[in-house]
Amino acid sequence: MAASLTGLLKPWTPRVLLVRWSRYNPYYLEPEPRKEVYHIPETELTPEQKEERELKSVRPIKAATNSVTSSVFNDPVLSKFVNMMMKDGDKIIAKGIITQTLENMKRKQVEKYHKAPEGKKAEIECNPYAIFHQALENCKPVIGLASIQKGGKFYQVPIPLTDNRRRFLAMKWMITECRDNKHRRTLMYEKLSQELLAAFSKEGNVVKRKHELHKMAESNRAYAHYRWW
Amino acid sequence: MAASGGRTVGSFLWKCGNCCFNFNTVSSNLTRQVLSRQLCVSAVLHRKNLAAAGPEKFSEEFIKKQVEEFNIGKRHLANMMGEDPETFTQGDINRSIAYLFPSGLFDKKAKPLMKHPDEVFPKQRAVQWGADGRPFHFLFYTGKQSYYSLMHDTFTKALAVEKHQDRLRGKDLFTQDAKQISLVGSRWLLKEELEELLVETISEHDYARFIQLMERLLSLPYCSVEEDFVQRYRRQLEIQSSKQQVQPLQYDQHGVAYSTGDGKQRKTATGTVLLRDSGSGSISINGTNYVHYFPVLQDREQLMFPLHFMGVLGRFDMQCSVSGGGHSSQAGALRLAISRAMLSFLSEGQVETMRQAGLLTPDPRIKERKKPGQEGARRKFTWKKR
Repeated sequence: MAASLTGLLKPWTPRVLLVRWSRYNPYYLEPEPRKEVYHIPETELTPEQKEERELKSVRPIKAATNSVTSSVFNDPVLSKFVNMMMKDGDKIIAKGIITQTLENMKRKQVEKYHKAPEGKKAEIECNPYAIFHQALENCKPVIGLASIQKGGKFYQVPIPLTDNRRRFLAMKWMITECRDNKHRRTLMYEKLSQELLAAFSKEGNVVKRKHELHKMAESNRAYAHYRWW
Repeated sequence: MAASGGRTVGSFLWKCGNCCFNFNTVSSNLTRQVLSRQLCVSAVLHRKNLAAAGPEKFSEEFIKKQVEEFNIGKRHLANMMGEDPETFTQGDINRSIAYLFPSGLFDKKAKPLMKHPDEVFPKQRAVQWGADGRPFHFLFYTGKQSYYSLMHDTFTKALAVEKHQDRLRGKDLFTQDAKQISLVGSRWLLKEELEELLVETISEHDYARFIQLMERLLSLPYCSVEEDFVQRYRRQLEIQSSKQQVQPLQYDQHGVAYSTGDGKQRKTATGTVLLRDSGSGSISINGTNYVHYFPVLQDREQLMFPLHFMGVLGRFDMQCSVSGGGHSSQAGALRLAISRAMLSFLSEGQVETMRQAGLLTPDPRIKERKKPGQEGARRKFTWKKR
């Protein structure tokens, strides 16, 4: 191996410091911490997966971060939500709020379950993780607006959104809604569980905000051709 | 015997130095630094570039003579050191020279060296023109004949592949999913390696054009016809998992297997772990129980991560010691130490799986430094308009 390739395997600082850079060389690949992926036998892999495996065997891999484990309770979406809720790097408090929220949601749903008649019992979702994911899905906008300057004026142009952007907007709206529009005596986890349950049944302020965004995009349809990408 | 051996070695070295001295005066562009006091052609040894500039400086017979003298000198040196001349390797030569000519000099280029003439005298081409002055190769006047002939060869191969495809289309045997050349696990030759192969200097632009042409050849569906040609210009990448150092298992007096994970760094925290294969699953950190030392769930999950990943949760007993950093970095350092200690208990395939899960890479992220003119690493001073 030439000397220049061994230089790629050390922690580096790039020559030109861009705003977004990392201590890993771009040569490194992302780790895969889930156990099930490695137990798939050779025969059930698609050719792309086989190629990916071969590539992984010759490339160095980044270290797994502190919030990632191979346990069944590890949820990347939930971790992202915890990070977004965190203030000043205090993850313990943010994680505590989320745990209390999930517990609260479970309690409410179980209460509803016990009070419901026999026919309706099967429809009530008791798994707080499932409720969280479904609520987030219901809050994700399909189309977004971008401010584009044309002829001296700024127009709100409807644009398609990437998956990451949609997820980010849903989480951001949820958190800002819970921080701003609550009574000063209600605790965060209480308000968050109320909002999540409302979003699960497609009511509540966050879903309303999503619908407003869609309406704005629909009304600005005339400017859609201002988008050049 | 020793005296005669010394004289022969000395004569070899003296002759070498003499020749080098001659060449110093004649061809100054070869030896960049003027080292008049040389015991050996050390300057040429360290030259990375090829002698592509100019006609050959050393004739064939000269190099052959140097090789013979080197071999004889090697045997004499082996006899002097009292070792077997047949199995005297380059490493042995280096050691012997360092012993016989101890040098307190710091500059590597000034130290005495004895290497095979092929490594000393750079590879060069034979004279490119005949007695009548006419060059042999038709591309001689381009200045980069090997490079351009390579480009022509590659293009000819591409045309041949296209012709093959047309023939197959004519016979209705053309299919899109023909066997493709497997490119995973190998890389293109680097520019330096290509220069070495062609014995010619090429520019970055030339190298880029060459790679472009090869990629174009590879884009044809039936390129597997020219697989040998393509593989000649690719190098295999080494398998990363072979780089892991797995220490052998140690056994204590009761016959219980144990292994240590050496102190691992994560953002100024260092941790060591002693893994014992006793089957109780108890963990003690700096003398206290891990539940008391890490009250946060995330840190305990990090400790369990390698064990859970391998499915050996209750098997090992751990005695950890950790210092420095905060609670997260200590947990990260311990996780890496545990993964490294576990390697001695695992098979090759499992080591590779652990590596791909990101458990064996030390985390290089550190606190970003503060820059001058700013308040912190990223935060700028308050902007004042005037």
